[in-house]
Amino acid sequence: MLVIENIVTAYGKIEALRGVSMEAQEGRITCLLGPNGAGKTTLMYTVAGILHARRGSVRLQGQELVGKPSSEIVRRGLALVPENRLTFPEVSVRENLIAGAYLRLTRDKAGVAEDLERQLVRFPRLRERINQDAGTLSGGEQQMLAVARALMARPRILLMDEPSLGLAPLVVEEIFRTIHELNAEGVTVLLVEQNAHMALQIAHHFYLLEQGRITFSGVPGALQEDEVIHRAYLGGSGASSH
Amino acid sequence: MVDFLQNIVDGVMVGSGYALLGLGFTLIFGVMRRLNLSYGPSVMVGIFVGTWFHLRGAGLLAVIAATLAGTVLANVYVDRLCFWAVRQRSAITAVVSSFVIWMQLEEAVILVFPDRTYPFPRLTALEPIELGPIFFRAEYVTMFACVALLLAGVWLLVYRTRFGLALRAVAQDPVAARYMGIPLDWIGLGVAVMAALIGGLAGLLIAGTDQLVIPKFGLWATYKGLIAMMLGGMGSIPGAVCGGLLLGVAEIQFVWYLGAQFRDLAAYFLLFTFLVLRPGGLLGQAIVRRELAAFRRI
Amino acid sequence: MSDYLIGVLSNIGMIAFLALSAYVLLVTGSISFGQQAYFAISAYGSGIATAMWGWPLWLGMLWGAALAGLAAALVAVPTARLHGLYFAVATLAFAEMVRLLLQMLTWQIDVDGTLIGPMGSEGFREIRYIYAHDISAVQFMLLIYGLLGLVVGGLTLMERTRLGLALRMIGEDEIPAEALGVNVAACKIFAAALSGIIAGIGGALYAHLITYIEPALFNVMLGVHGLAYGLIGGLGTAVGPLLGVVLDIGFLESVRAFAGYRMIVFGGLVALLLIVRPRGLLDEVTVHRIVRRLIRSDHVAH
Repeated sequence: MLVIENIVTAYGKIEALRGVSMEAQEGRITCLLGPNGAGKTTLMYTVAGILHARRGSVRLQGQELVGKPSSEIVRRGLALVPENRLTFPEVSVRENLIAGAYLRLTRDKAGVAEDLERQLVRFPRLRERINQDAGTLSGGEQQMLAVARALMARPRILLMDEPSLGLAPLVVEEIFRTIHELNAEGVTVLLVEQNAHMALQIAHHFYLLEQGRITFSGVPGALQEDEVIHRAYLGGSGASSH
Repeated sequence: MVDFLQNIVDGVMVGSGYALLGLGFTLIFGVMRRLNLSYGPSVMVGIFVGTWFHLRGAGLLAVIAATLAGTVLANVYVDRLCFWAVRQRSAITAVVSSFVIWMQLEEAVILVFPDRTYPFPRLTALEPIELGPIFFRAEYVTMFACVALLLAGVWLLVYRTRFGLALRAVAQDPVAARYMGIPLDWIGLGVAVMAALIGGLAGLLIAGTDQLVIPKFGLWATYKGLIAMMLGGMGSIPGAVCGGLLLGVAEIQFVWYLGAQFRDLAAYFLLFTFLVLRPGGLLGQAIVRRELAAFRRI
Repeated sequence: MSDYLIGVLSNIGMIAFLALSAYVLLVTGSISFGQQAYFAISAYGSGIATAMWGWPLWLGMLWGAALAGLAAALVAVPTARLHGLYFAVATLAFAEMVRLLLQMLTWQIDVDGTLIGPMGSEGFREIRYIYAHDISAVQFMLLIYGLLGLVVGGLTLMERTRLGLALRMIGEDEIPAEALGVNVAACKIFAAALSGIIAGIGGALYAHLITYIEPALFNVMLGVHGLAYGLIGGLGTAVGPLLGVVLDIGFLESVRAFAGYRMIVFGGLVALLLIVRPRGLLDEVTVHRIVRRLIRSDHVAH
């Protein structure tokens, strides 16, 4: 569904991504693992059109995304739940959700209201806080808000950048349960995680990104899983000496 | 006591003009995180365009339309050159860039209008209103009424429309706003136009009350708007309004009790004291935090 | 050397002090819209000292610059914790207060039969020290550039010291600097006082060359020009602000073809420059590259 081919993204002269190729298949959870600084967030930014790739291509259902503005990419059906959640702190929960459907706000009022109701059924805690400012929510609630807000765009594929970052273990479990449920409803998910243990429990397929390159890909349960987890946490190839 | 009350009434009326200028500043700052020093000069360009039509015998409506159009054009020019083109870069660069464009706008106006002052048409010819011992100048009442209407309009736009939601989203987190598909470039342009319309209206009301325009209006408007915004708290819409009214009342009271030469001195003293004791202004603690992030790297 | 050229060069030198004073603060991460205040304080202070009290020039200048430095340090105490725009507007408010107070300052005394001293917004005439002591325009220009050389040299040396490093670190980000043990508040007050003294030297020179000063000269335009010069020339080295001044005053003001259009040309050029080079012509990266190349060619030569 989402095919990333040979993407190179650079900050000035430093290439953060040095030819990354990977694929997220329809209806599946694909997980991108990797240590800090491997380029995971850079890849997400590039796919979402916030950063511009120097070379390579990103295709969503066959349509090229590289070079398109981010608004166009959202319109094509790609939504991103950014790292650190990035909710609008002084805007109410309701308006945060509505902002997620920004692009069809004027044309499809009924549809937006319907989707809003659907998200509130999925996340009852957001309904309790519907008129509160997002900034008053707990970390876990903000993460749910960020997921719900991304779903408001009716994405074909949902990109999630480190949804477990800085959350308590119980909350992390809840977030991963939600991802699993969403996927069961048919949403394609590309999950970026450092928490490899949790991620591999729900992923169908995974990639390992190290120093701007994909160094491993496979399915959970494969032989090298322990080494992959080790490298995802610690970075480098120090684990290969085991 | 009557004097004191009369001063408050006059101050609120004068301050409503400041409030509009502060509102324009705060919109640009709040959404784009940019200080537009050329905002006042853009308004000045607008009223001179209006004057140009007035001098050639155009009617009041044409003058109003020309003033607003001139302000919008000038401010969009500033926005595209100083903010859009350098938007990803540092905030200080954008400030200095808007300053040099101010110099440019002022010199361009002086080239076309070399005299010291030019006339501007009166907007209303009503008699002053008397309520007991208090006088209400008709121009001031008109100004106040326009400002109140406009504020209601701005409030509806910001809190009740899709554009307003986009504004607030960009103001709070531009990156997240892009993830929603909100086009930052267009929002920036929209804010520039909106601020220019507000400033153009302020220019019309103020120039119409004074019935004259001078090139130094740009400097004056930037000062008043900046002070109104800072007193109220940067990026806060109700703050800018309160700041403008406070500035107006303080000025009139100081002039009355201390003398005209204290008008500006008092305003700056108030501003300095506020900044030192309460940098967030009257309303707006949270803004300080965000502003810090925006200006961390200058 | 023609009088005109001497005049232009002297102007460049004096305004360079203002640009350098804004630069010192820019390096520390503070934008000031108010350096013209210290320029004005010293212009008045030194003018009063030489014209009214009959002090010698060097003492009058020292006194003016010290007053300016003291004022800047006093302003820095409450404003050091302000950031970005808040600091910028606070300095602007202070500078405007200074200008408005100077407009109210009327104090004249009888010196050899004439009344001399500040006359409110009418200004302060007859600061005639250099004419009374037969100092020629060339000599005074050499004085300007001698002092300018000292300041630029001093700033360049300071950049290499621990203090200079601390100031740059504060400019990058205060919090890690604080975490590394830098006394941020003290450094900022020091930088402010230094910037006040530098602006003060310029102001004292200015008053004595022009012989007539008035409060309106020291408005925000002067200060923001000083700030802009640093940004045009580049924030990488103390030479940057000088380059900015030379480009504007030396080039645009002197080219007669631009008369009447100077600000239109200047404004357009600077706006375009800042799009391409947001930290000026001689930014940190460029300066670093030039220094490296100089060192390398040095090695080759040996």
